[in-house]
Amino acid sequence: MPGAPFAIEGAMTPLRVNGEHVELDVEPRRTLLDALRADLGLTGAKKACDMGNCGACTVLLDGEAVYSCLVLAVDCVARAVTTIEGLGEGGKLHRLQEAFIAADAFQCGFCTPGQLMALAALFERVARPSDAQIMRALSGNLCRCGAYQHILRAARMARDR
Amino acid sequence: MITRLEGADKVTGRARYAADVRLPGLLHAHIVRSPYPHARIRHIDASRAERLPGVHAVLSSANSPSIPWHDASSLFDRTVRYIGDEVAAVAADSDELAADAARLIDVQYEALAFDLVGEAREPKAEARGDVARGLREADVVLEATYRTQTALHNALEPHGCTALWHGDQLTVYESTQGIFAVRDEVAEKLGLAAQNVRIITEHMGGGFGAKQIAWKHTVIAALLAQRTGRPVQLALDRASENLAAGNRNATEQRLRLGAKRDGTLSAIDARIRVEAGAYSVGGEDSDVIGTYLTLYRCANVRAEQRSLRTNAGPAVAFRAPGYAEGNFALESAIDELAARLGIDALELRLRNYATRDQREDKPYTAPESLRRCITRVAAACEWRHQRPGLGFAAHDWAAGGGWPPAEAEVEFAHGAARVIVGVQDVGTGSRTALAQLAAAELGIGVERVQVELGDTQPGLYGPTSAGSATLATLGPVVQEAARLAKKSGHARAQRGENPKGKSIRTCGAQAVELAVDRDTGEVTVKRVIAAHDCGRIVNPLLQSSQVIGGITQALGYALSEKRIVDARLGDVLNANLEEYKLPTVADIPEIVNASESMPDAEANATGVKGCGEPPIIPTAAAIANAIYSATGVRIRELPITREKLIR
Amino acid sequence: MRAFEYTTPSTIQQAVSALGADSRALAGGTDLLTLMKAHIAAPERLVNVKMLLPRGIEARPEGLEIGALTTLAEIEQHPVIAAGYSALAQAAALAASPQIRNLATIGGNLLQRPRCWYYRNARIDCWLKGGADCPAREGENRNHAILGGGPCYAVHPSDLAAALLAFDAALWVHGRGGERAIELADFFALPAPERRTETVLSPDELVLKLRLPPHPEETRSGYLKAMDRKAWAFALAGVACVLRLSGRKIAHARIVLSGVAPIPWRARAAERELQGAMASPDRFAAAAAAAVQEAVPLRHNGYKLPLTKALVRQALTALTDPACK
Ligand SMILES: Cc1cc2nc3c(=O)[nH]c(=O)nc-3n(C[C@H](O)[C@H](O)[C@H](O)COP(=O)(O)OP(=O)(O)OC[C@H]3O[C@@H](n4cnc5c(N)ncnc54)[C@H](O)[C@@H]3O)c2cc1C
Ligand code: SF4
Ligand code: FES
Ligand code: FES
Repeated sequence: MPGAPFAIEGAMTPLRVNGEHVELDVEPRRTLLDALRADLGLTGAKKACDMGNCGACTVLLDGEAVYSCLVLAVDCVARAVTTIEGLGEGGKLHRLQEAFIAADAFQCGFCTPGQLMALAALFERVARPSDAQIMRALSGNLCRCGAYQHILRAARMARDR
Repeated sequence: MITRLEGADKVTGRARYAADVRLPGLLHAHIVRSPYPHARIRHIDASRAERLPGVHAVLSSANSPSIPWHDASSLFDRTVRYIGDEVAAVAADSDELAADAARLIDVQYEALAFDLVGEAREPKAEARGDVARGLREADVVLEATYRTQTALHNALEPHGCTALWHGDQLTVYESTQGIFAVRDEVAEKLGLAAQNVRIITEHMGGGFGAKQIAWKHTVIAALLAQRTGRPVQLALDRASENLAAGNRNATEQRLRLGAKRDGTLSAIDARIRVEAGAYSVGGEDSDVIGTYLTLYRCANVRAEQRSLRTNAGPAVAFRAPGYAEGNFALESAIDELAARLGIDALELRLRNYATRDQREDKPYTAPESLRRCITRVAAACEWRHQRPGLGFAAHDWAAGGGWPPAEAEVEFAHGAARVIVGVQDVGTGSRTALAQLAAAELGIGVERVQVELGDTQPGLYGPTSAGSATLATLGPVVQEAARLAKKSGHARAQRGENPKGKSIRTCGAQAVELAVDRDTGEVTVKRVIAAHDCGRIVNPLLQSSQVIGGITQALGYALSEKRIVDARLGDVLNANLEEYKLPTVADIPEIVNASESMPDAEANATGVKGCGEPPIIPTAAAIANAIYSATGVRIRELPITREKLIR
Repeated sequence: MRAFEYTTPSTIQQAVSALGADSRALAGGTDLLTLMKAHIAAPERLVNVKMLLPRGIEARPEGLEIGALTTLAEIEQHPVIAAGYSALAQAAALAASPQIRNLATIGGNLLQRPRCWYYRNARIDCWLKGGADCPAREGENRNHAILGGGPCYAVHPSDLAAALLAFDAALWVHGRGGERAIELADFFALPAPERRTETVLSPDELVLKLRLPPHPEETRSGYLKAMDRKAWAFALAGVACVLRLSGRKIAHARIVLSGVAPIPWRARAAERELQGAMASPDRFAAAAAAAVQEAVPLRHNGYKLPLTKALVRQALTALTDPACK
């Protein structure tokens, strides 16, 4: 079988998660989301649809926001993943996190890690994003509690701080 | 501004939800569901699944006790009544393996005829006066039929739990709105004493009514954990969530309203059909007739609702059950009536709103709060400058006054307090508001108060978070316990009864401004203005979260959300978040919260009433009324998608 | 998802020889993984092509080249595309969500399978999945095709495909026999009994890159999309429009519809109404009517006729507005 020599079944997947080197030993079908939650115990990213329809599983992959439920863990060789657990620095909250608390930008909090990571990707790229950019960056994250208006306010607060 | 006590946990990912529990030896469970809308199970062969390495237990009617469930069915019934009905379950080392094993279970079904229309059952009816006479004596009679869709709760966190045993003690981390409701039900189903079951809900990712009862998954997880001797986690996937974990019942509401030329309502006649799904799961009692009996003063009223049993997922309470549906029809009809009478729509409401509870025949504790809400919204939206695209609706809601009994314990020492209660914070901010009430009573800062909740273990009973009841129930007890603890250092208190001679309700009003592109049928909601009576507002920030949240959900209900079922297959076609369209951030208008604090001293000692449900109630009608104002087209069916408006 | 083997070949030849009926190329994975999770596809092997195929956008004298692995986000944000190929940039910006656009590749976008809710439901058999009938024809078909329907009435889900077709794009594919070029117009083909897919690509071919021929400076283009909500939904109807004016005269017109047919639908009759005519509201109305003149609505999708017409009119009006460039 011509494919056989380069099969990597059983191989380890080395990647960086929140700045730390990790080696994952997972089946090819394991998603990054499941690997984070089940193998690494990082349960901040949530599984709410597992189909790329909600945004609760948003993490940064090499700095870009992606749905971790639509990425295979084995596809992350040598890549850098940032989850909500890695957002603040040195035990301090990120300005977005502070603004979320101040604006009450959540209710149940289940979508919150995803909302924050989507915004974090934007703020990483653009120091002072426009309202329109904020809106677009959040357009792939559902909030069933309907906190959107406060989420937008939080993002503007973080920007204007 | 006081922010949420659990804020830091929620923004860092530390907040732990039911499926975030990590325990050594944790197994993952998967439920096998019926692919038929109605069938008898002939045979189940799980041997292939059981042989799969990594599979630890398979449960089905073939090997587990027949635990009675709703409507004389059982946990794994041999007759399945909708697509999604539970057939078997597996526990395995991983999610993926559990799903593999589920596919290997061979189930032979005998398909039976199914019914998606349903036969109307005995009506629930209430009447007063003489409707026929009221209609005869009316100068104007409006007759119209309104329809509302089946809506899916779609809390972002699906139903789920993690169950483990220590000897004969069962502990379940559950995503629920009612830790005690789940405890009692699970104990009963498993034949355990209630004190042998502990339910913990540290955080939960939304419920909106669908998590106010105990569902099968909890008992299934407990049984699997018992059988394997390992902790078991069972989280529903989105498809199961949307097939089998409740919905807002669809309705058809045939109305006749009679009015005198001066606008006095002389008759209200409402005949309602409610699609209830395959089972009465409890808590689904959507009181659609309620608002017809109470919102407006009228001597002659007849309101009846019949539920239809169908081979589809069961209905369950959904934020303001019955009232969201009923209000859409009634408040659309009032608007239509106003146009016929040539009376300003808002004026017609002011002439007719009720100040007494006509159902219970008691005065309201706050009889004029609806007038205040209406006039505040009228002022904020500049109603006097009538313009196309402006619509209005008022509402009432039978609950919000709290549901005794409840208990609370407060410890107070060295200027710091610990509050223990048996409720859960479903995202409404109960922790924070209770801490504020305790802090105020004790004269300390809110940061000095620690609130412990979401655990049945301390044995302090608290009600299910439903009926906008949590703060109105617990607030007064916590305040009382704090008052006592201030003297003694430690106290418990019980929630007293609600006042007997009066009726507590909540109410409010909303206005909507929108634009309609008749060429594409697209509706753009620009602004929603809301004022709701929730008694005293303990925390304006949290209260505004409830208001924007309810309105945002209502936008979906009004404009885009609908469960779609194929009539020939009996299958739900959009049991997902792709084609079941929740509003996104881009769909949100400016929401102006014009609510004011209106302490209701007669309701309870804190003056607090609930505000969880009210904001979702009047939005859909206000939108339909605004669409009429913009286009002259009256839409009597939700959701108002573009095909209904395109020219 | 069922278990599968995952391979990372080091050359395109190896990749191509590893492809076949039970084996799929994995690019961004946003469509393939959702099909696998829903048990609509169950390949035994995924061939990771992410290290192999071209990625990026290059402006060359023979036109604009876009590597198959270029993401929708890169297309949306590229200055050359924003400036000279607005319809494509707009289509990318209106597609899916930011997180998906960061993963989704243009190659995968052209090859994504329909979102028809019967197709995506593993409990339901349907013609496109090899069954005898199409349950959508007499069923819940508000999202379905008004043009080119039968035996399958699913609509093609891509926004970008419509824009690319309006720019007369071509693509290069690599198969066992080596490389070949195909006009995008020939790449899409209505599903037929012997080929129940929306493209003529065979299972062991890879898309390498796309090329858009150069367009004169004065070309104007745009993409409009109607959805059930303001963002993050598939098109109920969409229109990509490329125009060249000389004065008020329309020298060149391409109108391609999305969301209304099983493949991106070139509205040739509408183009004929415009070609050589003076830009005017009446002309636009005539073109809009021509765009759907052959439409055959099903029970629940009749609204797509007026909707498509309105989008065509609105797109033409906006593009010929003297105030706009
Ligand atoms: C929630 C959601 C919403 C979406 N909304 C939209 C929308 O509004 N508009 C829109 O246009 N799209 C939308 N999409 C579709 C999305 O754009 C596509 O899924 C994506 O572009 C596919 O690219 P991919 O790289 O992820 O492909 P993959 O999933 O990796 O592949 C898709 C298919 O193409 C094959 N393939 C991929 N690359 C190649 C290649 N180079 N050569 C040969 N075969 C290849 C794969 O084998 C597979 O069969 C949406 C998707 C999701 C999940
Ligand atoms: S429209 Fe096509 S994909 Fe949908 S059910 Fe019919 S044949 Fe299947
Ligand atoms: S869980 Fe990944 S997008 Fe919903
Ligand atoms: S805060 Fe509950 S879903 Fe967003």
